[in-house]
Amino acid sequence: MSLLEVDGLYASVNGEPILKDLSLRVEAGEIHAIMGPNGSGKSTLANVLAGRPGYEVTAGQVSFNDTALVDVAPEARAQAGLFLAFQYPVEIPGVSNMEFLKAAWDSHLAAQGAQPESAVGFMKRARALATSLGLNPEFLKRGVNEGFSGGEKKRNEILQLLLLEPKLAVLDETDSGLDIDALQTVAAGVNRFRSADNGVLLITHYQRLLNHIVPDRVHVLNEGCIVASGDKHLAEKLEAEGYAWLSG
Amino acid sequence: MAVGIEALQTLEAPPWLGAGGLTRCRQALGGKLVRETWKYSPLPKVTNALLAADEHQGPPVGALPPGVALHRFDELDVPPTLGIDLNRYPLAGIAAARAGAGWLIDVKRTPSHPLRIPAPALGVSAPLLVRVAASCRVDIEQETVQTTDNADFGAQILVLSLAADSEAHWAAAEFAPTADKWCLLQAHLQRNAALTLNHQGTVSNFLRQDVNIVLGGQGARLASVGAALVQDGGRLDQQLVIEHASGGTVSRIKQHNLAAGRSRCTFNGRIHIHAGASGADADLSNRNLALDPSAEVNTKPELEIYNDDVRCAHGATVGQLDAEALFYLQSRGLGPQQAQRLLSLGFLRDGLAGPYAERAAEAFAAHFTSA
Ligand SMILES: Nc1ncnc2c1ncn2[C@@H]1O[C@H](COP(=O)(O)OP(=O)(O)OP(=O)(O)O)[C@@H](O)[C@H]1O
Ligand SMILES: [Mg+2]
Repeated sequence: MSLLEVDGLYASVNGEPILKDLSLRVEAGEIHAIMGPNGSGKSTLANVLAGRPGYEVTAGQVSFNDTALVDVAPEARAQAGLFLAFQYPVEIPGVSNMEFLKAAWDSHLAAQGAQPESAVGFMKRARALATSLGLNPEFLKRGVNEGFSGGEKKRNEILQLLLLEPKLAVLDETDSGLDIDALQTVAAGVNRFRSADNGVLLITHYQRLLNHIVPDRVHVLNEGCIVASGDKHLAEKLEAEGYAWLSG
Repeated sequence: MAVGIEALQTLEAPPWLGAGGLTRCRQALGGKLVRETWKYSPLPKVTNALLAADEHQGPPVGALPPGVALHRFDELDVPPTLGIDLNRYPLAGIAAARAGAGWLIDVKRTPSHPLRIPAPALGVSAPLLVRVAASCRVDIEQETVQTTDNADFGAQILVLSLAADSEAHWAAAEFAPTADKWCLLQAHLQRNAALTLNHQGTVSNFLRQDVNIVLGGQGARLASVGAALVQDGGRLDQQLVIEHASGGTVSRIKQHNLAAGRSRCTFNGRIHIHAGASGADADLSNRNLALDPSAEVNTKPELEIYNDDVRCAHGATVGQLDAEALFYLQSRGLGPQQAQRLLSLGFLRDGLAGPYAERAAEAFAAHFTSA
C-alpha cells in the first residue's frame, strides 16, 4: 500500500484542463521533489490533493492511505493526515495564530475521537516549536499571517506542519523567497518531520533546497504531466541546463 | 410628516438654539437633507419617541478628578455654543428642548484616569459638552447602561470641543440593550488636536448614530475604529459626516459591521473636504458581512471634495466570507461551519480597539458559540 497514489489524473481549474495524465506514487518514508517551469501545474496538483474548491478531477484516481480522495472534503483530508503548505499563505486578521493552531489541532484530535489537549500544554508546545523555527513566540498572538514577512509566513507553515504531524506533507515552494538562514531552518524543520511513517511532496524551483533535504525521487512536471523522473542528480541537471531540453 | 406637531409647538427652545431655532428644526425635519439620511430608519417614529420619552435632568457623572469641573449650562455667564448644524440634525434641537439645560464638563488639566460617563439607555439626556483645554488629554468611556427591561427609547447628544494640541479618546460600547436609541456625536477640533473614537458592541435594538466631526484647525486628526454585531432583528444605522475644514487634516476610519439573522445595518460615510483644506488626507473603510440571506446591508460612500491637493481613499464593501481564508482553515482540519464562525469573529475583532475591546470580543464570541 502506498501513502499516495496518483494514477492517470486529469484535472481542471475553473473548467480549464491543467493536469493531463499525471501518475505518481509516494511510499511512506519517501521524499519526492516536483520541479518544473512556471505554470506547469505544480500548485494545481497540490491544490487538487488538498481538495480546493474549483479544482476538479475529470479523470483518473487519487488515493491517500488506500482511500479514494475525490469527493472527500478538505477538512477530512487534513484530519486524515494530508497537509498542504501553501505557496501563498492566507492572512486572517482578527484570528490569532494561537487560536487558529489550537482549533486545527483540536479538529485533528476530535477526528481521532481523542480528548482535546489542555490549552496550557498546547500553548507551551506551540511556543517551543515557534522558537525552534526562529519565530518569536509573540507571533502566535498576532493575526494568522497578518503582516508577516514572506519568510515568516513560510516558517509559520512549517510550524503548522510540525504541530499537526500529518502523514503526507505537500510543500508548495516553501523555500521561495527565503534568506539563507530561513532556508536552513525550514529544511531542518522538514528533516525533523521526516520519518519512516510519513512522506513529503516537495515542490520547488531550486536545487539548493535539495542540498538540505535529499529527495528519494525527483520529477519534472511540464504542461500538466510528469515528463521525467530520476534521483537527486536530475535536479542537478535541471539546475545546470534549465528546462529547454524538455521541448527539444 | 406625522410627528407630534402639537408637542413640537409647545416646546420651549433652550437659549443656545437661538431665536427661531425650533422653527428651523421643524422645517428641517421635512427637508430633503434629513430625508436622505433617514432613508433606512423611521424618522417620524423616532421623532415621536423623542417627544414622548422621559427626560434626564440629573448630572451625567458623579465625582470628577482634579482639573475637571462640571457645570450646568444655565449656571454659566455665557452659555456655550454646541456648534450643531440644526438643518442636518434637527432632532438635536428637539432633544435639547425636551431635556432642558445641558451639562458642561470642562477639562482644564489632564485627568489622571478616564472619565466614565454612563449613557442611560432610556430617556432623553441633556446635551453633554466636553471641553478640552489646549494641550490637555482626556479619555472618556461611555457604556450604554440598560436601566430597566422595558424596551423603550433613549436619546443622547455628546459634543466634544478640542482646543489646539489637545487630545481626546472616546470609547463607547453597548452590549445588546433593548431600548431603541438615537444619538449624536459632534466634535470640533482645533489646530493639531487629535480625536480617537472606538465604538463597538452588539446591537439587537434600533440604534441610530449620527456622527459629525469637524477637523477645523490645521493638522487636526481623527482616528476611528469600530465594530458592531447586529443580531436578533437589530437595526443599526450609522451616519458619519467628516469635515476636513483646514489644511493638513487627517482622518482614518475603519468600521466593520456584521449583520446576522434578520437584522439590518446601514453605514453612510461622507467625507467632505473644504476648499481651503490643502493636503487633507482621508481614508475611510467600511466593510460589512451579511451572514444570512435575510440580513440586509446598506453602505454608501460619499465624497465631496473642493480641493485638488488632497489624498482620499474611500472603500465600502458588502460581502461574504473570503473563500481563500475559508479553504485555508479547512485545509487545517476545521469544518466549514467552524471555519465560518472563526472568520466572522475575526472580521469583527479586526474592528476592535480601546478599553471595551476585550468585552466586545467576548460578546461576539458568545454569539458565535451559541449560534
Ligand atoms: N483559477 C484559475 N483559472 C484558470 N487557470 C488557472 C487558475 N489557476 C491556475 N491556472 C492556470 O493553471 C496553470 C498551472 O498553474 P499552477 O499554479 O499550477 O502552476 P505552477 O506550476 O504552480 O507555477 P509556479 O511555478 O509559477 O508557481 C497556469 O497556466 C495557470 O494560469
Ligand atoms: Mg505554484
